[in-house]
Amino acid sequence: MKRNSLIPVRAGSGLLVTLIVAAMAFLACFAMAGALGATKLAGAWTDGLSGAATVRIGAEETAPEEHLDIVLDILKSTDGVIDAEPLTEEEVAALLEPWFGATPELSDLPAPVIVAVTIDPLNEPDTAIVQARLDGAAAGAVYDDHGEWRGRAASAARAVRSVAIGAMLVCAIAIAAVVVLSVHSGLSAQHANIATLRLAGAEDRFVSGLYQVRYFWLGLCGGLLGCGLALAAMYGFNAMSTVSRALPALQPPSYWWVMFAGIIVFVIMLCMVSAGLTVSGKLRRGA
Amino acid sequence: MIQFENVGFRYGNGPDVLQGLNFEIPEGEFTFITGSSGAGKSSLLRLLYLDSLPTAGRISLFERDLATLTRDEVAWFRRRIGVVFQDFRLLDHLTAAENVALPLRVSGAREAEYRDNVAEMLHWVGLGEQMNVHPPQLSGGEKQRVAIARAVVASPDIILADEPTGSVDPEMAERIMQLLMEMNRLGKTVVLATHDIDMVSRTGKSRLNLKAGTLTASGDAA
Repeated sequence: MKRNSLIPVRAGSGLLVTLIVAAMAFLACFAMAGALGATKLAGAWTDGLSGAATVRIGAEETAPEEHLDIVLDILKSTDGVIDAEPLTEEEVAALLEPWFGATPELSDLPAPVIVAVTIDPLNEPDTAIVQARLDGAAAGAVYDDHGEWRGRAASAARAVRSVAIGAMLVCAIAIAAVVVLSVHSGLSAQHANIATLRLAGAEDRFVSGLYQVRYFWLGLCGGLLGCGLALAAMYGFNAMSTVSRALPALQPPSYWWVMFAGIIVFVIMLCMVSAGLTVSGKLRRGA
Repeated sequence: MIQFENVGFRYGNGPDVLQGLNFEIPEGEFTFITGSSGAGKSSLLRLLYLDSLPTAGRISLFERDLATLTRDEVAWFRRRIGVVFQDFRLLDHLTAAENVALPLRVSGAREAEYRDNVAEMLHWVGLGEQMNVHPPQLSGGEKQRVAIARAVVASPDIILADEPTGSVDPEMAERIMQLLMEMNRLGKTVVLATHDIDMVSRTGKSRLNLKAGTLTASGDAA
């Protein structure tokens, strides 16, 4: 015996819901990728900066070389400092290259003396104490543990993450809204059929279940379509060498498909719960 | 089994369509509800299949006051009642067999459990060859028989039928009556609304006669 759904499938409405769900899932994937990428990028920046500090002895000092020895003595005797080495002229030239072009003549420039300090990330010296010691012995030497940059990177990552979470929330609300609207319109169109089901003894949860099954499939199709396209787009995006070189943190890691599967599961659950609650609510209100 | 105590009913703020109804239908009884069009027969059946609650009085079914039932209990009670609606209420997107199977699917039975039962029921009403036909392709009489098969397939305790012979020829009407009598012989309580007094007289079953929403006579038809 043939077994049709007790709720007739209305051609068109299901496709529309699927496409909107797919679009929202697509955007949610990019939002999640953005959040992960920003976190990874900020992590890479802060990791790169932690464990390192610099001391800059201003070029305006009359005897920077003399100050250098004092600074090195102070640094090497500071708890938490693993090593302190001044940058060679070539290294300083490389740092200045973006502004002054290749092989700038340092003797013509008031270039500061830079000391690269390697610090123990688990036992970082107190910046204020180090600076105070330097001020007392070698005026003009500035200790920089990149805390300000690290703070900015972290807060930028937090901001991007918040925006991405907000975007995902908006996508979820949009999916729930379209499902609610679609279910409302379906219940109105199928009013007589649902009344017959109820007179045959169908409980509210039975009717809700029919809609949940239907929206399970719509959510699955929409989720697969949207996330599949997003995944393909991201791999395609990263296949472009310019992009992957410029933003290595945004390269899809191997576990992204798990997160995308998570988005699909979430989309399905959202569709089912929205449909079920809408049907139950409307039946209770006497639809 | 069915007890009406001073029952009244109206639609919204409209006039009373039923008033002061007092009667009792024992278990296993075959009862006709007669009356002219607009007398309130369909409204009375509507109260019996729990589509509405009375606006006055009290209805007891299976020893329970219908006003005290929860939504889930209402659904459970409805499964114990098979209804043949005057307008059939078949689902057009389902086949005849699927329509007949509806009460079984709703009660959670699996297809394997009821497939044979549905086929047998459709053969019983003479529609064995039209199992996979959709209602729009069936005649009025055929739809009526699908509706009857659907009403009895789950073996309900009560069968309510609203003018079940209204859309069929006399031969089929006789056959439908035989089907309902057979269900009654099997112990089912049957309540049948009709304006066909001849049919009521032929069967010799008890009847409740309505006139303008009030009960004017009850007892054996003969």
